[in-house]
Amino acid sequence: MSDLIRQFRDFFVSLKLTVVLIALSILLIFAATLDQVNLGIWAVQQKYFHSLFVMWRIGDIPVPIFPGGYLIGGFLLINLIAAQVYRFKLTARKSGIWLTHIGLILLLIGELLTGLWQEEFALRLDEGETKNFSESYRSNELAITETTDPKFDDVVAIPEKFIARGDPIQQAKLPFRVVPKIYYPNAALAARDANTPGAATTPATTGIGLQATATLLPLTYKQNERNAPAAYIELAGPEGPIGTWLVSADPRFPAQSFEYAGRMWKIAFRFERSYKPYSLTLLKFSHDRYAGTEIPKNFSSRIRLNSPDGRDDREVLIYMNNPLRYAGLTFYQAGFENDDKTTILQVVRNPSWQLPYIACALMTLGLIIQFCIHLVAFIARRRPAPKAVA
Amino acid sequence: MRHCLLSFSAITLLGLTSCRDSKITTYRVPKEKGPAITAAPAASANNPGATMANTAVTTANGPGLTWTAPAQWTAKPTSAMRKGSYAITDDSGATADLSITAFPGDVGGDLANVNRWRGQIQLPPLAATELASATNHLDVNGLHLTTVDFTGGSSSTPQRVLGAIIPVANATWFFKLSGPASLVGREQAAFAAFLQSIRAPSATP
Repeated sequence: MSDLIRQFRDFFVSLKLTVVLIALSILLIFAATLDQVNLGIWAVQQKYFHSLFVMWRIGDIPVPIFPGGYLIGGFLLINLIAAQVYRFKLTARKSGIWLTHIGLILLLIGELLTGLWQEEFALRLDEGETKNFSESYRSNELAITETTDPKFDDVVAIPEKFIARGDPIQQAKLPFRVVPKIYYPNAALAARDANTPGAATTPATTGIGLQATATLLPLTYKQNERNAPAAYIELAGPEGPIGTWLVSADPRFPAQSFEYAGRMWKIAFRFERSYKPYSLTLLKFSHDRYAGTEIPKNFSSRIRLNSPDGRDDREVLIYMNNPLRYAGLTFYQAGFENDDKTTILQVVRNPSWQLPYIACALMTLGLIIQFCIHLVAFIARRRPAPKAVA
Repeated sequence: MRHCLLSFSAITLLGLTSCRDSKITTYRVPKEKGPAITAAPAASANNPGATMANTAVTTANGPGLTWTAPAQWTAKPTSAMRKGSYAITDDSGATADLSITAFPGDVGGDLANVNRWRGQIQLPPLAATELASATNHLDVNGLHLTTVDFTGGSSSTPQRVLGAIIPVANATWFFKLSGPASLVGREQAAFAAFLQSIRAPSATP
């Protein structure tokens, strides 16, 4: 083995590395906890834990100032695996430690996979409404939909980051280019009266943008608020610009229709959607209270689950701590609005949700085994030697 | 063998941490029923909906009323439920509270709300037939106010409530001054002047 490889191995096997990484993670958690006041929990998770480095903006340049959760967690994982491979021998006496370490490795991997794979969406249903999609809590998309076909809609969904980037977008299914002109990550909408002398000029040349304007708002990081981005979007065909529309992800801002090349289209900025091969109908939302009070007792949604292949057509009751698990998704009762006529379900995809349970079980088992091994050895040592019979 | 295992875990880890990238997607879906493509609620964009933690506190979002409070009233921070809040203190340290709240609809009607206020100062509820004689009516700046004046509580610590209920658009606003009877009595004239200052946003002086 060359010196370089040996040094590399020794670095990762080292117990000093473990101590340094644990110290770094303590500092990281401390800083993130303080910053939660400014950023809220979601942004803090992204900035401190779901990143390789914590970035600090100096002017317009992001500079890494501290290792992030993925880097510290990743090094801890490699450190743990390396120590396991090079330092510990698999013997019966060490079997408990082995199991505990394997549990810890699984726990770290589980957290990593959850951070990478978990997706959360919201499904809002009015009583009697049927939907086959859920909507993102944070991400938005520009949806350009061809509505010519009487039965189907053809959707081109462009994630918000493409709009933020501002480069013209050419998509094979669209007969025009999409050119984001102005993008506001969070915006307030105001009515605009074009007939008033001195009315603010607008980049919009058609649609609602002639009667409304968007102004930039500071980004919100509060847990119960979301940003409502807005943009001025120009669509341009081969013969030149078709028009510039104001679009906003504010739910009150409707989709706007137009005709181009003999086909009907709609343009809308909306919460990012995730479509499912099945549909859910809200039959009834119940908000039970303790008799004579306004104190909530139970929230439940009676849902009809229907898959077009006919495999599933059944009623399910979703209530607190009793989610529906179906096709890799978990539907939790998360909220309600509209005078108890609308339910909000949280839809979570987390393919690695069992890993923490398995990890904890392995660690518990490992610790019990190790404890028992030591206990037996201890008792054996304390047992007095049998006295010689006279 | 050991090197292979370590290298494999390092590479797998790096592979996993490479970012998920969102892409432009195209798909065909059955036509939606209803006129608009956005089927989200007509609530504020900044409010993704009620959660279990903030139940039963739906406040009205319609046009707001404006008012001018007397100088001796101390403004308190508003909250999710309160549109306005003032504290009134006298020299002995006794404090009365003025609250301004608004809720969608008629919130159960005048009788239920009047009886709710009566209950807060240990007065028995009124029957529907008694409501008219227990309330007064005022027209202020185009608004119709139903006002009440109740004194209850115990004989040693009498409590008094001065209140006004104002229907505005599809909501109901409640202005309530409550506290020790002597202090509320002292502020009665100020409260009456305060009610005269309430305006709907479009009303002109």
